[in-house]
Amino acid sequence: MRAAQRAEPTTFFLPDFCAARAVLAVVLIVEIVAIMFTIARQSLHQNFWVDLAACSLFLLWIGLGCAAVLCRSRAWLSRMRPDRASAVAIAMLVAVVGIVSEVVYQVGRVSGLGLLGRDDIFPSDHAGFLLRNLAVGFIVSALALRYFYVTAEWKRSIEMEALSRIRALQARIRPHFLFNSMNTIASLTRTNPARAEHAIEDLADLFRASLGDAHTQIPLKDELEIARTHQRIEQLRLGERLRVEWDIEGLPEHAQVPSLIVQPLLENAVYHGIEMLPEGGTVHIRGELVQDRIEIEVRNPVVAQQGYREREGNRMALENIRQRLELAWPGRARIQTDLTDGEFRAKLIFPFTERSTHGL
Amino acid sequence: MKLLIVDDEPPARERLRSLLEEIGDCEIVGEAGNGEEALATCGEARPDVVLLDVRMPGLSGIEVARHIDSLEDPPAVIFTTAYDQYAVDAFETEAVGYLLKPVRKEKLAHALRHAGRISPTRLARVAKSAGFEQRREQICARLGDQLRLIPVADIYYFLADQKYITVRHKGGENLIDESLKSLAEEFASDFVRIHRNALVSERQISAVERTDDGQYIVRVRDCGTVLQVSRRHAAELLRRIRGES
Repeated sequence: MRAAQRAEPTTFFLPDFCAARAVLAVVLIVEIVAIMFTIARQSLHQNFWVDLAACSLFLLWIGLGCAAVLCRSRAWLSRMRPDRASAVAIAMLVAVVGIVSEVVYQVGRVSGLGLLGRDDIFPSDHAGFLLRNLAVGFIVSALALRYFYVTAEWKRSIEMEALSRIRALQARIRPHFLFNSMNTIASLTRTNPARAEHAIEDLADLFRASLGDAHTQIPLKDELEIARTHQRIEQLRLGERLRVEWDIEGLPEHAQVPSLIVQPLLENAVYHGIEMLPEGGTVHIRGELVQDRIEIEVRNPVVAQQGYREREGNRMALENIRQRLELAWPGRARIQTDLTDGEFRAKLIFPFTERSTHGL
Repeated sequence: MKLLIVDDEPPARERLRSLLEEIGDCEIVGEAGNGEEALATCGEARPDVVLLDVRMPGLSGIEVARHIDSLEDPPAVIFTTAYDQYAVDAFETEAVGYLLKPVRKEKLAHALRHAGRISPTRLARVAKSAGFEQRREQICARLGDQLRLIPVADIYYFLADQKYITVRHKGGENLIDESLKSLAEEFASDFVRIHRNALVSERQISAVERTDDGQYIVRVRDCGTVLQVSRRHAAELLRRIRGES
């Protein structure tokens, strides 16, 4: 006769019965059960409304009593192990049922109505009435607690999954890029220490950006700067083979975007495109503001056939960006990709937001 | 010890060169920025050891190693890679020499002392478990000291005689030292066996005809060659060109 309410941040499996919504749910469920009982007994009793009223009153006392007990003892129970807490809670609920039943019997006896043979309102069989209610109370409490426990576990696992997904979505620098950059820097420290120093500074900036909070939004200007930093490092490694054309005059620099949405596209373009072409090629990055939408397109030449694994890696990176866009602007942002005539295009389309109002 | 450095990134080559100079006792006979260059240099400069980057544009390092092996007295190969978990796992299982970039001088010296030739079967296994296309895009033919790459797409047919296999392709004819059976397996999707000694590109078959004495023959589209179909392979051939699987 209790209802599971919205998930509490705490890990304890019992819902908070002090909350108004929980109390309302208890009342509603009690009424539904009362109606059910009354209908089930209609063959024996003709007076439906009186019957329903009596049943409701009795069950409401029990339901609200149980809710009150669980509400008061929740903090205490939550400090116990779940199996112990369940046992104690069941004992308390059964006790509530017993007390309410006893009070009802005594009220009926004292007021004398119970002895008039009107057992449709007050019970006459003391022990039978009490034992029946205790048994039903025990079974229902056990079922309810089991239900709360399973629901709470299920919610907890869903929350964990969501959390780990957000963490996993945190854009990461590819290990391939890291180790190749390290190799380039190792080489430059001998031949050109000044450049090596710059490369280390750039690498540090990139890592600072990728280690940041996955939820944060940054100005588009900063995001583009991260992409340029990435380009500088790749340039050292690939030299003439990598050419990047930026056409981003039309982009509002102060727009707020999730961090690392453009840089991974450039990284992909280099990793899957330019790097695999003996002569290299040009990555075109074009951005514009179309009405209230920002569109950023990255396109690059690709080799005719790629191994399965390469495509898979590309797809995963794009899926990651897509999900982060979705978290930032649910249903209002997307990423389009297409591969035609040996050219791969990825286009980000998302609303122009000036200030970070779209936290998670 | 003569060495060839193969890497598509100039800084990576530069670093290996300076490390090798410090180690001493070796002569760098060439540097190559991609697989094709590597194969050409290999034929000319005859290195003892090739330091070969795994991930390169065009031919991958593993593919280059497979081609290098068709040279007479092939060099030892040491792979280098910055990060490729699949390849590294494959190298470990097949006990193939490899170095992780940035390469440490001691490890490089150690690898050079223990470098050995890698057999084609081990390379094929590496290619498979590293997730590279097992099926080659090119076939490598040896012309004296030179290696010639023949794109598989350009090949009309393979014809085996006693010792060698003749590859007939757009650019002419070459001899290769492989077995027809393994070629038939590797290229099973595009090539069809028509005779104990002949494997034909399915796309290149312009006609299958029946001669007066009940034999089948195949006409090859671009070069016009007529090839015999053996009785044993006729059924399979007809099934494939009719598009039944």
